[in-house]
Amino acid sequence: MNVEITDLTRRFGRNLAVAGVSLQTGPGVFGLLGPNGAGKTTLLRMMATVIPPSSGRLRLLGRDPGGYGPRREVRRRLGYLPQNLGYYPGFTVAEFVEYFALLKEMPTARVPAAVANAVERVDLGGRARAKLRTLSGGMLRRVGIAQAIVNEPELLLLDEPTAGLDPEQRVQFRALLRDLGQRATVVVSTHLVEDVGAACSQVALMDQGKIVFHGTPAELTARGTEHGTGDAPLERGYTAVLAAARS
Amino acid sequence: MDDDDLVARVAAGDDAALRDLFGRHAPWLAVRLRAVLPAADVEDVQQETFLAAWRGAGGYRPQGACGGWLWGIARRQAALLLRRRGPAEHAGTTLPADLAGRDAPDPAETALARADLEVAVAALGPAGSPEREVWRLMYEQDRPVAEVAGLLGVPPGTVKSRAHRARRLLRAALRVAEGGTR
Amino acid sequence: MSGPRNDAPDDVDLGRVWISVAGQVWRRQPGWLERTAGRLLRSPGLARALLTTPSLLLPWLLASVAVLAAGAAATLSSGQPLVALLAPAVAAAAIAYSYGPGIDPAWDLSCSMAISDRMVLLVRALAVFAVNTVLGLAASAVAAAVGLPAGSASGAAAVVTFGWLIPMTAVCAFALAVATMARSASVGAAAGVTAWLIIVLSGRVASGNFAAPVTDTVLFLPYLAVGAGCVVVALYATRIPRGTFS
Repeated sequence: MNVEITDLTRRFGRNLAVAGVSLQTGPGVFGLLGPNGAGKTTLLRMMATVIPPSSGRLRLLGRDPGGYGPRREVRRRLGYLPQNLGYYPGFTVAEFVEYFALLKEMPTARVPAAVANAVERVDLGGRARAKLRTLSGGMLRRVGIAQAIVNEPELLLLDEPTAGLDPEQRVQFRALLRDLGQRATVVVSTHLVEDVGAACSQVALMDQGKIVFHGTPAELTARGTEHGTGDAPLERGYTAVLAAARS
Repeated sequence: MDDDDLVARVAAGDDAALRDLFGRHAPWLAVRLRAVLPAADVEDVQQETFLAAWRGAGGYRPQGACGGWLWGIARRQAALLLRRRGPAEHAGTTLPADLAGRDAPDPAETALARADLEVAVAALGPAGSPEREVWRLMYEQDRPVAEVAGLLGVPPGTVKSRAHRARRLLRAALRVAEGGTR
Repeated sequence: MSGPRNDAPDDVDLGRVWISVAGQVWRRQPGWLERTAGRLLRSPGLARALLTTPSLLLPWLLASVAVLAAGAAATLSSGQPLVALLAPAVAAAAIAYSYGPGIDPAWDLSCSMAISDRMVLLVRALAVFAVNTVLGLAASAVAAAVGLPAGSASGAAAVVTFGWLIPMTAVCAFALAVATMARSASVGAAAGVTAWLIIVLSGRVASGNFAAPVTDTVLFLPYLAVGAGCVVVALYATRIPRGTFS
């Protein structure tokens, strides 16, 4: 089990962003669905050890990230793509990825090949030395994915990774996800339902800080046969579950 | 975009051009090297070759001989690798002295010259052409002129002049194979 | 001579070869300063965070040089210890700008790194402080060598030129504390500069002398106490867990 979460909550002032979430997952691709404001980003930030939980138990990669030493060990094996990733305009693609590889304390000798591998995997090999300020939004997102995977993380957290990617790039990205999910736990938070259906082995649906569904994409689809609205079966399942949770 | 333009761009520091160059030329270079070296060594030599190309692209004079230039770098890197391995590793073919090049006694060079030679022999013409037949009988099978003349049904003088032409063609082909600027 | 475009032999992995080549071609070659810093800090990542990422550090260092040079020149002509008065303000602003949020566009990501944001802050703050100290000492030494107004005892001159180090420490610590509590470099810089202005002006009011804050040795102990307290506040503000703001 790479992720063990028990009754996790997170409060900001009076706002309860995450209101008691429990889940466990091992290797594979795990999709986190939900409308905006459901608490997905906050949950991911807690899993990335960026903010601490207000209460509950969190174990990542078999360690408790509350202590300085274990937290550092977790972070060396972690990959994280935040929802809004800023970039350093004067850096090149390779420099940006290399910078974060070093901050993750990768062994120095392995860094050049790891950076080249990550850049090629996100299909930016022809632009490795282009300055970030010359790239489009979709390309910048791919740079963000590259820095997240450069250290071959055991736990990969991606918050809205396909924002700005065109359909062909999304297909390539799903193939990358399946490949990464062989060895690592990949948690993908998205509001695009079709991204989840194609690549994920498990799905959780969050609404108002709680998990209202946890199962396989097929099970989510099955929930929507009569009651949901939407163009695709998975979307109908999604809306059906949300409607049931709010009624 | 032709090869000369690519190399010019590499010389100007364009790494995407190096990537294109790699995509075009690494496969056939691998085939050529694989005839002489085991697979793991081919990978090492390829890596050194393209890094050397990245650093030394400024010295390339565009003559449309980009492949020859790359092969020249590759065979130098291969020779370095073989010399590091040790002199006894490779049994080379013995070539006629005037075709084996300046470093003839070096077995590493000889092994590479063998790979060069196979390609250069193709420059003599299709199998069965006069020069090719003479080459095959006189040099590969080591028969005397009189015997070759008998087998081919031509006078010995003709055999000698065809042999002379074959050597000239081969020398020219091997010079191009060594390629580019040293 | 370009050979036939065959496929590569099956047992040769050209993808791996390209990755090795690209790794060497694409890597960044650090300069001597970064390499030295990496060895000193025993961490190439920390050295790179110190020297390369965008913070307002470089512009502030350049501004510091300019301001302190101007201060030295003005001290020479006017006899007021302007260097001593300016240095703390300049340093405080620079220290505040070594902190991350508001300056670092990839702040959230930086907070998930094995080399923690607090380490980076600490190293940056120390570097800024050291550089400003050296600059200030140089400017003061120049001003002192060329001479304060005739009649000053050399002891008093030394106190003025070098005694500002202590107020500078206090004001820098204050700026850093405010920056980390407010999670904004600009707020911290403003607070530090404002605090120093208040100190200077109240010194003028109290004793009629602009130079009082740096010459009055009685103040040194309180300065140090305030400085220590602010450092504690800054450490507390950058701890994990970080409190209840998002």
